[in-house]
Amino acid sequence: MTDAADLADLLARVSRRDRDAFRALHRATAPKLMGVVARILTRGDMASEVVQEAYVKIWDKAGDFDPAKGSPLGWMATIARNRALDEVRRVRPVSLEDMPDGFEPAAETQDPMASRERSERLKALMRCLGQLDAQKREIVMLAYYRGATREALAKRFDAPVPTIKTWLHRSLAQLRGCLEP
Amino acid sequence: MSLSPEDDFAAGEFALGTLDPAERAAIAARRLREPELDAAIRAWEARLAPLNEAVADVAPPADLLAKIEARIDAGAPAGADIVSLQARLGRWRAAAVAAMSLAAMLAVGVFVRESGRSNAPHEFVAVLQKSADSPAFAVSVNIDTRELVVRPVAATAPAGKSYELWIIADKLGKPRSLGVIDAAAITRNPKLGAYDSATVEGATYAVTVEPEGGSPTGAPSGAPAFVGKLIPVGP
Repeated sequence: MTDAADLADLLARVSRRDRDAFRALHRATAPKLMGVVARILTRGDMASEVVQEAYVKIWDKAGDFDPAKGSPLGWMATIARNRALDEVRRVRPVSLEDMPDGFEPAAETQDPMASRERSERLKALMRCLGQLDAQKREIVMLAYYRGATREALAKRFDAPVPTIKTWLHRSLAQLRGCLEP
Repeated sequence: MSLSPEDDFAAGEFALGTLDPAERAAIAARRLREPELDAAIRAWEARLAPLNEAVADVAPPADLLAKIEARIDAGAPAGADIVSLQARLGRWRAAAVAAMSLAAMLAVGVFVRESGRSNAPHEFVAVLQKSADSPAFAVSVNIDTRELVVRPVAATAPAGKSYELWIIADKLGKPRSLGVIDAAAITRNPKLGAYDSATVEGATYAVTVEPEGGSPTGAPSGAPAFVGKLIPVGP
């Protein structure tokens, strides 16, 4: 995995239409973007289509990346994730029937190198997520990683949709308070 | 900051992904003309984005880069379908249905915001897009003066092709051309004066990719790349 400074440098070159830099950027990040999208869009061909569109957008918009506002990978993943969410909302609601219990980001990291790569930003966010109740943390994780809607979460946690909405708002407020005290 | 707590939570839920399709489309349209809402969404996206670092990699298909580069070389805007001329009728119908459902989604959000007002609105906007996060053009219309202004949001002109804007309404039968529009600059269009205000207000607006200079036949050459309906924004 290329580090954030290298990725930021590649993005700067991509904004100047440097195709070699774009290929290097793709090589360094495509497996991650596929991972992000494939968790939301479980059909492989749709995931690949969305990732293609995301990279075309990254090519077009590389100049918009602002290193002061986040990591290069986070910026790229957000573009891919937003496309995936639009696609999944259009096709069908996400079912959480097959989801394992106790879904945690720790279970996501199968790569033994991953813990060394975790950024300070991720560590801070994980610490703040750790301050939520287990169930509220799981709801945030399912929403972010699997694209779960309020309705799907309501079904899974056997709670009314307005309750889920209230929990989400409290969790978001608590996260922001923790990240930006 | 004048962003209401309600809008701030909507921005947070947009970033988290939990809004339903109607709310998501309404927020996606509003962020184009509400910089504070857009900034709030970006801030929430940045707060949550580190979670992506923890996602396990998935091997991409071997031809992924080749497909991406082919799209870039074709000069297509991200997400636009440049389709063959075949089956154009069926695709038009499908697009019209999609446009109507998008309009229905937008209408839900707008109704909630507008229901407190008594004056009939005169200013309308439409976001022409393929999906909620890929707006290509923003169309604004003043219903009294029939002034139509098209602003490119994220459109890139395909090499050697032109974008053409169409107005589609049951009453008009076929799609009617509103002329070629610029992908890089604001286009002001006088042709809207030919249509009555109810038609202008209720119509679907679509953009197709045409040979340079516009459709040679006066009819769309293919399915629309971007579609949208007007929503009221001001008195």
